[in-house]
Amino acid sequence: MNGERVRVFGVRHLSPAGAYHLRAYLDKVKPTAVLVEGPSDANAFIGQLTAHGVKPPVALLAYTDRLPVRTLLFPLAAYSPEYQAFVWANKRGALCEFIDLPTDRALALLELRESGGEDDAAEEAGEKRRTYAGWQHSLYERIAELADEPDYEAYWERHYEHAGSQEAYRQAIHAFSGSMRELTEAEERAFVPQEIAYNGLREAYMRRRIRETLAAGHEPDRIVVVTGAHHASALDLSLPAMTDAEFGKLPSVSTSLTLMPYTYYKLSSHSGYGAGNQAPAYYQLFWECLNAGKPERLPTIYMTRLATLLRESGTYRSTASVIEAVRMAEALASLKGGSRPTWKDLRDAAVVCLGNGDYAVVAEALARIDVGTAIGKLPEGVSQTPIQNDLNRELKRLKLEKYKTAVAQDLELDLRENRRVKSEDAAYLDLNRSVLLHRLAVLGIGFARKQAVRQESASWAERWVLQWSPEAEIQTVESTLKGETIQIAAAYVIHERLQQCENLAEAAKLIRVSCECRLVEAMTEATRTLQELAVEAGSFEQIAGAASELSALVRYGSIRRLETEALVPLLKQLFLRGALLLVDAANCNDDAARGMAAAIQQMHAIAQEHHEEVDEALWRAKLRELAMRDDRNAKLSGFAFAILLERDEVSADECSQEVSRRLSPGVPADLGAGWFEGLSMRNRYALLSRAALWEQLDLYVQSLEDEPFYRSLVFLRRAFAEFEPRERASVTELLGDLWGAGAEQTSEELLQPLGEEEKKKLDELNEFDFGDL
Amino acid sequence: MDQATNVLRLSSERLYARELEALAAVDQGAKPPGWRLSPRAALTFITGGEAGGVPIRPKYIGNKRLVEMAIATLLTDRALLLIGEPGTAKSWLSENLTAAIHGDSSKVIQGTAGTSEEHIRYSWNYALLLAQGPSDQALIKSPIYRAMEEGGIARFEEISRCASEVQDALISILSEKTISIPELGRELSAAKGFSVIATANTRDRGVNEMSAALKRRFNIIVLPAPASIDTEVDIVNRRVAEIASSYELQAALPDEEAVRKVVTIFRELRGGATLDNKEKVKPPSGVISTAEAISLLTGSMALAASFGTGEIADEDIAACLQGAIVKDEEKDRLVWKEYLDNVMKKRGSEWRSLYNACKELNG
Repeated sequence: MNGERVRVFGVRHLSPAGAYHLRAYLDKVKPTAVLVEGPSDANAFIGQLTAHGVKPPVALLAYTDRLPVRTLLFPLAAYSPEYQAFVWANKRGALCEFIDLPTDRALALLELRESGGEDDAAEEAGEKRRTYAGWQHSLYERIAELADEPDYEAYWERHYEHAGSQEAYRQAIHAFSGSMRELTEAEERAFVPQEIAYNGLREAYMRRRIRETLAAGHEPDRIVVVTGAHHASALDLSLPAMTDAEFGKLPSVSTSLTLMPYTYYKLSSHSGYGAGNQAPAYYQLFWECLNAGKPERLPTIYMTRLATLLRESGTYRSTASVIEAVRMAEALASLKGGSRPTWKDLRDAAVVCLGNGDYAVVAEALARIDVGTAIGKLPEGVSQTPIQNDLNRELKRLKLEKYKTAVAQDLELDLRENRRVKSEDAAYLDLNRSVLLHRLAVLGIGFARKQAVRQESASWAERWVLQWSPEAEIQTVESTLKGETIQIAAAYVIHERLQQCENLAEAAKLIRVSCECRLVEAMTEATRTLQELAVEAGSFEQIAGAASELSALVRYGSIRRLETEALVPLLKQLFLRGALLLVDAANCNDDAARGMAAAIQQMHAIAQEHHEEVDEALWRAKLRELAMRDDRNAKLSGFAFAILLERDEVSADECSQEVSRRLSPGVPADLGAGWFEGLSMRNRYALLSRAALWEQLDLYVQSLEDEPFYRSLVFLRRAFAEFEPRERASVTELLGDLWGAGAEQTSEELLQPLGEEEKKKLDELNEFDFGDL
Repeated sequence: MDQATNVLRLSSERLYARELEALAAVDQGAKPPGWRLSPRAALTFITGGEAGGVPIRPKYIGNKRLVEMAIATLLTDRALLLIGEPGTAKSWLSENLTAAIHGDSSKVIQGTAGTSEEHIRYSWNYALLLAQGPSDQALIKSPIYRAMEEGGIARFEEISRCASEVQDALISILSEKTISIPELGRELSAAKGFSVIATANTRDRGVNEMSAALKRRFNIIVLPAPASIDTEVDIVNRRVAEIASSYELQAALPDEEAVRKVVTIFRELRGGATLDNKEKVKPPSGVISTAEAISLLTGSMALAASFGTGEIADEDIAACLQGAIVKDEEKDRLVWKEYLDNVMKKRGSEWRSLYNACKELNG
């Protein structure tokens, strides 16, 4: 059997001319078997890829079914020669099979190549790979330069895509990649030995599959092998094929396969030989023109569409300009001796004639016409993972299908019941959408991003930005491992996170997340976790944070139509614990006091909001205790006192008594002033309305000796720095009244610029040495 | 054309006559009507190469694609408009393109505020007009008129300097390709091959904005400042050598190092940052173009030849730098001083003597 030659058709993976000529070739040869470079365990998908309703670009996705998930992608556009081979074989009833290594081996080998032994070795290999890529790139640039083309893409298009006859195309590409392979072999061996070894394995396997096909009774000259041109010369059957024993030795991981829609945008961002395709939408147009048998119409259609896009965006361009642009592109092509303009010629002509020399004018229109925003489509019933199907069903049910585009779109949700519609589904449409989008967020599927809502208090409004991308689809497929449907997978993720959850705040957040995802069981589980953690918890701040989350859920849970009553006992329990911890926790330094103050704020808000449920009296008592204690953080004591003052829990007498006690001579100045700072952290109007307080403060400051005066000044200054200018003015007026100067005179005084002497005094203050502080 | 060769500046077609002949001799490509060379040969003339053993010197260094686009434009119906910063070789490219395609780059209209419609169409010899009445003898043809008759290329320099109604006179010429002469009761239709290459300055845009109608008759190509320092050094070297030989300057050509220094200073002042992008630099008010660098270096050569040793010294360069950069009295002097103290001073020993010379002059 040695030496038998099957027909090999080398292609570039995304090439309209390749697809076109391949089809003509198949028509001529009429093979009984078409063998395509691609994972041989994906044969079952070939039929589905050509099924009615499939709209390329689509991709075949292989993924490992254990974590971490590794993936392999085989994107296909309508103008992929491989895709046209499927279509042809399907129509003619010819055998059509993939012949490359199955994905379980390919992914295992990939893993092996990437792990690459120790760090140093891996780094060195990476360095070598980059050197090789750079060298290869310079080689391509050199070819373009020799061919007198601005870049390699243009060279390729002019010499291969524009090839007139099928035979010329086939032979040119064969000769080119054959010599390219010879040219690069030595370097490849030196720099990227793994790569060449991997390719060797693949080619040996492909030969094995070709032999199997021959053994199955197909005539050698009725077999067409469609492969990347790089491999064409290696599919000579005189070379050894992979044996069973060799195949058995290859490493393997368990993998699954699925189909997914793809985007032109994603296609355009691939790079490197074969995969490169900077302008998929342009090539699609190229393909359509070729198919219609009128490739010469491409420049006209391209420019007309471009001008239409420009006009739509408000830049008017005349038909004369379009004609000139086409003529110029053709003139550029003729300068190179080409028959038709390349993409580069068209773009340059467009910049000159339609953009008036300015690329920025046409940039957006060019991006739209070259790359495009189209995404592929798979009809229902075409094999996908259960979770993909589930997501598509959900999107359809919630009327979100129109957001499944590559263009980002805003979605505003109103979670309240829509009373103007009949069915329950419609009434809560937005709420259900929100639930789905939150579940996707939990799964890390980047389809939707939540945006901050402008109106903060509106707990019923949500804003999302939706944008579909192949990455999102891959993330969806990866979620298959977590559950069959979006709901189950999301619940699984929350469950996992709860297992690892170690602090109260996290647990409380997970309760909120499960509530947003409307996962009742997860919510119960999270509540249980929170309860368990709460028993152990000793951090006042965490307890306050968790209680605050719960409080928000209890208050607004109804908008999500969730029973949140069950959370009330837990809230009570947390609140009680927090209240009891308050006085102890307030024994902290000034740095910690800031966080503590915020936590006290949260607790106090809960106390007011849920005064019927929680033990508010206890909270007040504890606040009072804190306010009166001298051995706690003075700032927090002051803060607690401010709350009491605000709630009118202290009488005027009590107030002045406390102020004078706190600010009495002998109390270290930093404590006294710190207390005042805490006091001023809350409602300042409550302070400003109490003249007695300022009288006390005044007396205190006057009573201080020089040294403690300077000390207290620092704290007082800090406290007043937080005041608004208006509030500060009120304070000065109050003090002015006290000193008998009258409000007007004081403000006048204050507006005077500083004198020399006063400036000097202030400067001296700056140099004050605080020693221990 | 056996005229005396001791003119100050030879036109491109005479300066490069040998190259043009060589190109024409081996030119196999199809020539569009009215063209002396095929488009490919014209491209070679501009971007350099070789023809029948004669080396063709590159006339325009930089983006080859731009030249291709310019030639492609001339193949179509539209006229060509080259715009760019001052000193980006617009006129130079326009002259050489015309020389290659038409063989005569002398049909030039220089746009100024005083350019009138007659300069663009035709005017009269009034003595004859009064004596004989309107006649072909009394008609004085504008460069554009002559280009239309011959099917050649007319050049329009600094088109945006003309008043807009004068620019508008071009519209009918470019779209109808005819000039009507009502006095003689006839009209002139352009022969095949007629085109116009205009240049405009981006700095002049505000002076007289070109009308959209006129813009539509042109294919606009923007010529950028040289992309890399090496390209710019190369351009400066080449042009300085050419100018020096035609002016017969009795001084040695500046060495690579001096050219590189001048180009570095110019690029940094133009770009508003040092080449390594680590420091910001204040740009001076004037134009700091490649053309200025060329004239600066030839100026230093003249200084060195007339008053120095014949070798360009740092003092000569410093004197010319001062003149090129400090145009707007005090402000520029400060900019230059800042540059000297903040950038050049820290550059190490090779720059030291130039720094000292500049410092001394700038005070």
